[in-house]
Amino acid sequence: MNASKTESRTQQIKQFALDAGADVVGIADPRAWDEHVPLGHRPYDILPGAQSVVVVGSRGPTAGAWRSPNHRVMEVNGYDFRNDAAIHRVADMIEKDFDHQAIQAPGLPTGGHLPPMSMMLSAVLAGLGTRSLAANIILNPKYGLLYYSACITTFEFEYDGMLEQDVCPHPMCVDSYRRFGKTPCMAACPSDEGGCLDGSIDDDGRIDYSYYDRERCVSRAMNFGINSFQKALAQIVAEQDTERQSTMIYSDFFSRSCSAITHYKESVAQCFECMRVCPIGRAERKLR
Amino acid sequence: MTAQNKADFESAKSELAAIAGKSGALVSGVAAADAFDDAPEGYRPVDILPHAKSVFVIGGAQPRAGDWQSPNYQHMEVTSTSDRMQTLALKIARSIEDRFSYYAVCVPPGVDRGQQPFMSISMAADLAGCGSKSLAGPVLHPEYGFMYYAAIITTMPLPADSPLETPACPAPECVQMYAAEGTTPCLSICPIKAGGCLGGRIEDGRFTDRQYDSTRCATRVQNYWVPAFQKVLRATLQEPDADKQKMMLFSSMFSRTLWSMTYSNVSQGQCAECMRVCPVGLEHRTKK
Amino acid sequence: MGFYFVDPKTYKKHKNEILELSHAVQVNFQEHLPAEKRRPGFSDQQIAEKLGLEVHVVREIRCVAERDKYPLDEFEEAIRFKEKACRDYSVRGMSAVMEKYVKASKK
Repeated sequence: MNASKTESRTQQIKQFALDAGADVVGIADPRAWDEHVPLGHRPYDILPGAQSVVVVGSRGPTAGAWRSPNHRVMEVNGYDFRNDAAIHRVADMIEKDFDHQAIQAPGLPTGGHLPPMSMMLSAVLAGLGTRSLAANIILNPKYGLLYYSACITTFEFEYDGMLEQDVCPHPMCVDSYRRFGKTPCMAACPSDEGGCLDGSIDDDGRIDYSYYDRERCVSRAMNFGINSFQKALAQIVAEQDTERQSTMIYSDFFSRSCSAITHYKESVAQCFECMRVCPIGRAERKLR
Repeated sequence: MTAQNKADFESAKSELAAIAGKSGALVSGVAAADAFDDAPEGYRPVDILPHAKSVFVIGGAQPRAGDWQSPNYQHMEVTSTSDRMQTLALKIARSIEDRFSYYAVCVPPGVDRGQQPFMSISMAADLAGCGSKSLAGPVLHPEYGFMYYAAIITTMPLPADSPLETPACPAPECVQMYAAEGTTPCLSICPIKAGGCLGGRIEDGRFTDRQYDSTRCATRVQNYWVPAFQKVLRATLQEPDADKQKMMLFSSMFSRTLWSMTYSNVSQGQCAECMRVCPVGLEHRTKK
Repeated sequence: MGFYFVDPKTYKKHKNEILELSHAVQVNFQEHLPAEKRRPGFSDQQIAEKLGLEVHVVREIRCVAERDKYPLDEFEEAIRFKEKACRDYSVRGMSAVMEKYVKASKK
């Protein structure tokens, strides 16, 4: 295909993705994964002959949800999964109109917490954001926290590269680190006080070291769900006293764990404290 | 507020109503955020979104006329449509934020700690004039009868509607039936004195002395869901005979419960017998 | 046998090293860091090759170890942490998280 037609198709699919509900869209070269992940987790391991990875991002909680003093509002609000809906439409369009293979990249975990392909890395390689100090969340320069989906296709689009400028740390956070030894996210969830995060920023204002305790984060971000259900069940099964066992089964904690499994839309993410204090994307959340 | 502001907010309200109508809502209305005095503290709009001014309510996604006609009661147990209103509510919340730059948050449809809802959506629907509370429990719209509601809390000061002047319940037919027989369709189908959920009287054209056994109602509306799962689990764990345990775990009750849990979005309401016999909105449930 | 699950002895023997090699604790994942500084976690296949185990055994041990790392108390503590953090922020904003570090820096 000639260069101008590739460019035109690229613009077409990007606009289509935005019209389909994505807030941002970028395209990555599948070969960019080689440097970052082992075999088995690269785009062409999922779709042989992959030539492009189209990545979309969409916002999760509304700005109003961020303002609630009740942390459970955001945790149980559910999302519209616009990123998934948009990527399905993108894949449909590529197969129908461009006559090339296209699939939604599998981002859900299939072995413990591990997915076949990382949506976070996809977002970085498609130039939609950079990896932050806050739980390695990929922050978009405009919106901050977004949810990402990807479409792997045999169609060759024009590629976006990784962002040249790190989104994290924000200048305010660099200043905070230099003056107080902590960025806001590290202060909100410090690993040295039972939290998940730690890190350092070098003299050039870039992340020099980052630490993220994912399993502790799981106890917060997946407070009620599969994890808490399994752990509670292990305790329930081991309980010898039948009356205590009954109260454990009927407890609010176990009830909520069961409910979170069933209403998956409600339970996508259950801790936002590092993002709450993050200055990136805050302007987008400042309304009337 | 100036006349211009008033006109702008009226226009915004009309625009939101148009979005709602176009996307499948049958009704919409606005309740003032400070009108929720009857709600306990902690469960009012401002407790969810500080500085909230309005609650935009939508209603729709009724079971279809054909659904009510099916002699197979299990049909409606697996075809609930309440999710459609919640999805639309998310869309409207986004519209408020993106279009008008005011904060907006959906009232989560799930429950907070202690199995308590975040806010009464029924109360919001009542205050917004989208229906009125009924003897059977659900909010009924005078024309359409039973429907599902969702609510969006916002800082945008939309002009508020008022509660209905004439409640939808009791319907004239029910007033006549009570005068003649001492009961109404919903009371006769599910009488609390005979192991059902409902009791009450009609006096001077209004219902009074309402009795509602919510725990029994839950065994019917959530027939196969988390509570049933917990009960079967308890019975299984406390059964000493391994063969019987296996029978319990493989039972149709338990299997059905697991199906309902995974497909929660279509298994919201598993009993609607009081609504099946309700004359409000009957015209819309009557087709060829 | 029914469904596959790892035997407790094998689990106890390898859980710590497998968890350490996995993505459970993520250090220097940022893509901008030079390759020699980055410490990405390893895949189950890579861990299996390193430890001379079968990949399905590694996967199983990793899955159980992920669940096992913190007790259920941590999940209850999470509720208290978030309740306090969210409410404090709604009242005090950024000073809710930064105040103690600002004070410490002045000492």
